[in-house]
Amino acid sequence: MAAFQAYNKILVCDDDIRNIQVGNSVIGFEFKAQYPSYRGTYVSCIELFEIEIDGETVPEKSIYFQLNGKQFLLSQMKDLYAEYWFIMEKAVLRVMQDGGISVGNHNVTLKIRHRIPYTGYFGQYMVLDGACTKTLRAI
Amino acid sequence: MEREITYCLTLYSFSREYVFGQYNLEECLAKGREMGYTGVELVASQMVPGYPYPTRQWKQEFKALLKKYNMHPVCYSAYIDMGTHSDRDLNESEIIQSTLNDMLIAKEFGFDLVRTQHAISPVVFEKMLDYCKKIGMKLAIEMHHPHNPEVPIWKEYLEIMDRSGGWLGIVPDFSIFAETPHILHIRQAIDEMGCREDKVKNIIRRHLAGETEESVLSGDYSNAEKNFVREVYEQYAPCKIEWLNTLIKNSFYVHGKFWYLEEGINDICIPYHKLMPRLKELGYRGYVASEYEGHHFNSNEEAAVQLRRFVTMCDRILNYTF
Repeated sequence: MAAFQAYNKILVCDDDIRNIQVGNSVIGFEFKAQYPSYRGTYVSCIELFEIEIDGETVPEKSIYFQLNGKQFLLSQMKDLYAEYWFIMEKAVLRVMQDGGISVGNHNVTLKIRHRIPYTGYFGQYMVLDGACTKTLRAI
Repeated sequence: MEREITYCLTLYSFSREYVFGQYNLEECLAKGREMGYTGVELVASQMVPGYPYPTRQWKQEFKALLKKYNMHPVCYSAYIDMGTHSDRDLNESEIIQSTLNDMLIAKEFGFDLVRTQHAISPVVFEKMLDYCKKIGMKLAIEMHHPHNPEVPIWKEYLEIMDRSGGWLGIVPDFSIFAETPHILHIRQAIDEMGCREDKVKNIIRRHLAGETEESVLSGDYSNAEKNFVREVYEQYAPCKIEWLNTLIKNSFYVHGKFWYLEEGINDICIPYHKLMPRLKELGYRGYVASEYEGHHFNSNEEAAVQLRRFVTMCDRILNYTF
């Protein structure tokens, strides 16, 4: 078993999924995520982020990542060397999807590939794959 | 009587409890104080909200907590996050900037020692000396497995430390002395990697008997068991206690690493029964951190139980009854 896998269970937070309502329209939904390790990291160390809802992969461009009072596209994460994801900070993952998500339970999977930036003892950084699936309630 | 060696709680030991929301920072400190720890090590990248630029208010709150629990800030642990950028390593200016930033935060918290990592490079390490003197902050590189005094770069580091006038030093992590798998590693091999228990025991016995990795790998083992063989040979080797002689002069602090301690007996993984008396004989006076790292394994062991056992074990070894 690779290092830090015990922390993967916090990757998807237990908080409810919330639909994003603007006036009379629902433009998407959001849920929360925590960085799965014992310490925080720079967002630029996240090499891959994928969301599956009830087994369906969400298109990357529909996902907005909110942290430190800002919002980013997943494609921008590799450049975020000055955005630190504190280990206890819940990031928000917004999925822009017309009509949002149906009220009730949904299986949410988050997959992550992340580089551990201090591990280059003999030249190679440790890159970990982690995943977490939880059944969350959409309200 | 005064103790030559005292124990420091590295808050990192409470990683599992902290990250899973069982204890907040104050509760970690309170728990440590209750167990008799008087010194604290802080891993800033773990427990400091707003890191690497915490607010003034948070800094004041942290200092107030140390005061409330009457705990001494012993060591501020910083990292060299060389791989922060996705396309290149940190350059020299960036390493200096981040290290200096950590040293300044540490100063504000009241620490007088910053632990850094080997990736700082000899050039930058020596360049930080001027800042150490100006700020009044010692800077020490942690020597952690897989590094050890035989890794070439450390000769250079030790020479730099020797000429630093006591400002630049080392934090030996006792992972460099790990001899044989601890219980959590053994359990992981059997329960999660699918190794057979008798084979695991057999592999450990052959490794301890000094057989070569190649010879053990040629045995009748499954792929999972062969992976376990590789892990054992990569992570454990007979303890070279003489390494302490080389390191002691520049050691500002020691990381007493452990993964699992059983009640009433010495660590089977790291030979504390040899290391602690030798530390004392060599004249080491100061803190040894109790660094519990079992939380990296799928374990429900409570850090507090393990931290208590560490103190009891070391007191017993050192004949501290006071």
